[in-house]
Amino acid sequence: MNRRNRIVLSCVYWAFVLYVFVPLILMILMGFKDSKFIGFPIRSWTLDWYTGVFEDAEVLATLGYSTAIAVLSTIVAVAVGTWIAVLLEGRKFIGRTAIFGLTVLPALVPGIISAIAFRIYARWLGIEPGMGAIIWAHAVHNVPFVALVVMARLSTLPKSQIEAARDLGADPIVAFLRITLPYLMPAILGSSIFCLLLSFDDFVRSFFLGGYDPTLPVLIFAKLKSGMSPEINAIATIALVVTAAIGIWAERFTRRLNKDTQA
Amino acid sequence: MNDDTPLVRLKGVTKKFGDMTALDNLTLDIARGEFVTFLGPSGCGKSTTLRILGGFERPTSGSVILNGEDVTLQPPEKRQVNMVFQDYALFPHMTVRQNISFGLELKGMDKKSIRQRQDEIMSFLELDTYGDRYPAQLSGGQRQRVALARALAPDPALLLLDEPLGALDAKLRGQVQQELKSIQRRTNKTFFFVTHDQEEALTMSDRVVVMNKGRVEQDGTPEELYFHPASRFVAEFIGETNLLSGKMRGLEGDAVVMDWFGQTLRGHAPGGAPRTGDDITASLRLEKLRFHKARPDSCNAVQGRVVGKTFLGSRMAVDLMIDEAAGASLRAFVDAETGQSFGADPVWVGWSSDAMAVLRD
Repeated sequence: MNRRNRIVLSCVYWAFVLYVFVPLILMILMGFKDSKFIGFPIRSWTLDWYTGVFEDAEVLATLGYSTAIAVLSTIVAVAVGTWIAVLLEGRKFIGRTAIFGLTVLPALVPGIISAIAFRIYARWLGIEPGMGAIIWAHAVHNVPFVALVVMARLSTLPKSQIEAARDLGADPIVAFLRITLPYLMPAILGSSIFCLLLSFDDFVRSFFLGGYDPTLPVLIFAKLKSGMSPEINAIATIALVVTAAIGIWAERFTRRLNKDTQA
Repeated sequence: MNDDTPLVRLKGVTKKFGDMTALDNLTLDIARGEFVTFLGPSGCGKSTTLRILGGFERPTSGSVILNGEDVTLQPPEKRQVNMVFQDYALFPHMTVRQNISFGLELKGMDKKSIRQRQDEIMSFLELDTYGDRYPAQLSGGQRQRVALARALAPDPALLLLDEPLGALDAKLRGQVQQELKSIQRRTNKTFFFVTHDQEEALTMSDRVVVMNKGRVEQDGTPEELYFHPASRFVAEFIGETNLLSGKMRGLEGDAVVMDWFGQTLRGHAPGGAPRTGDDITASLRLEKLRFHKARPDSCNAVQGRVVGKTFLGSRMAVDLMIDEAAGASLRAFVDAETGQSFGADPVWVGWSSDAMAVLRD
C-alpha cells in the first residue's frame, strides 16, 4: 500500500469514527446542560441532572429491577447454553444438526417477531406478564450466544484431559466439574457478561412481556413520551459508561484467562 | 497373590472399529516388574492395546485380567493402572503440586498423607522446586516428569506410557530414556511402553513385542529381536540388515540349509523352519560379517569385490558385489581403518549360521 492510499484510508476511518460517536457525544453533552431545552448553544453547565437521577426513586428502583432481570436471565442462559454445548460438542447422533439449528434460531429471529411470539405463547401457557416472563424471554434469546461461545472453547479441549482425569480416578461427573468446567470458565464468564449487557439493553422483549414495572430502557422510552429532558441523557450516559466499562473489563479478563490456561 | 502369576493377562483380545480390525486375537502375559515395549508402525494395534489396558476402549471380544481380576469391563477410574499421555495431558489450571495430588485426593487419602506422598514423588523426580508452577511455565522435559510423577503418585500396579518421548528433542530424548529405565528399576513397577521408535524400544525394554496389522510379529528381548528376527517385518523394522533371498534345501540338525544363487549357506530359523523347496529370505546383520584375506573356516563364506564405501564416523559401511552369487550384493560394517585399506583385490567375508536368521514371511 502506498503512502497516499494510507492517508485516504485513515481519513475514511476517522470520518467513520466521528459519524458513529458524534450522536453519543451530543447526548452526553446535553446531560450537563443547565436548561430543560435540549439543543445548542450550551450557555452554562450543571451536574443537577445527575444528582437528580440518584434522587429519583423510580429510576433507582428500575435500575435494580433491570439488574435483577439481567442477572437471573444470565444464570438461566448460561446453565442451559453450557448444557447444550456439552451435549452437542464432539458427538455425533441423529438430530444433532436439528438441535443445533434450533439452538441458534432465537438469535436470528427479529426482536419484534420473537417478542410478539413470546407474548402469545406466554398468554397461552398462562404466564403472567412481568419479571418471570421477561427473564424467560431474555434467557431464550441469549442461550445461542452462550452455546456457541462455550462450544468453540470446548472443541479445543484435548480429549486426553478428560481421559487423564478418568485415569486418575475421577468418574465422568467429577471429571466434568474439575477439568471441563474450569477449562470452559473463560468462555462462560465472557458469554455471561455479554448476556448481562444484552438483557440490560433489551427493549422490545421487556416492553412486550413486562407488567406494571418498567425496565430501564422501557422507563426511558416512557419518559421520552412526556417530552425530552436532560435527565434522560444523564441516565443514558450512566448506563453507557457502566456497560462499556464492564464490556472492556470482561474482554481483557477473559483474554488473560485464555492466555493463562494455554499450556 | 504370589509373584509368579502374571500381573496382566490378555486372553484372545480382539478390537474392531467398524470393518477395521485393530487388534486380532491377542494373547499375552506381562510379568511383575517388567519393562515391556509394544513396538510397531502406526495402526499396528499397539495404542489400541494400551487403551484397552487403561480402560479407554472395550475389547470386541476376549478378556483382560489384572492381578487375577477380570477388569475387561471396568472403567479407567476403577483400575489400578495409570497412564503417561503422549501430550502429557497436564491440567493447565492446576499447579504441579495440584496435578500430582489429583489422583491422591480421588483415592480418598487424607491431607497429611497426600502432602507426604507429593514430597516423596517430587523429590524422587527432582521436581521439588517446581511445586507451585503451572504447566505453561515448564519446559518440555519438566512437563514430562510432572506427567510421570502424577501417574506414579497413586502407586499403580501398571504404568502405561503412550509415546511420551515423542515431543522431546533428540538430545533430551536420549537422556530421558536412561532416566525412565532407571526410574523403572528403582520403583520396580511394571511399565507398558508404546512407541514406533525401534531405538527407544531396544535401549529401554526388558522385553519388546513387535506388532503389525493387529498381530504380534515377535515377542522377545531386544537382543533376540535384533539378532534373531523371526519375520521379514521384524528384520526390516529393527535396524539395518542384508536380506538374502534363496531356496530352502533342508535341515542339518538345527541349521537351515539354503541355496543363495548357487552358494550353499547355513542359518537358523527363529520363526520356525520352512519346508524344503520353499522360496525363503534370510536376514544377516551388517556387523555380523567378518572380513578375511583368504577363505575362512566359518560355515558361510563368499568372495566379493568392494564396490562402495560410506564413512560413518566410528565405522564404515562397505558394499560388496558377490560375483559367484549372480552379482548379488551384501553390505557390511567394518572399522574405518580396515575399510580404508580395501582396494581392488577381492576379499572374503564369512559369518556363522547363528548370525543369519531365516525369516517367516
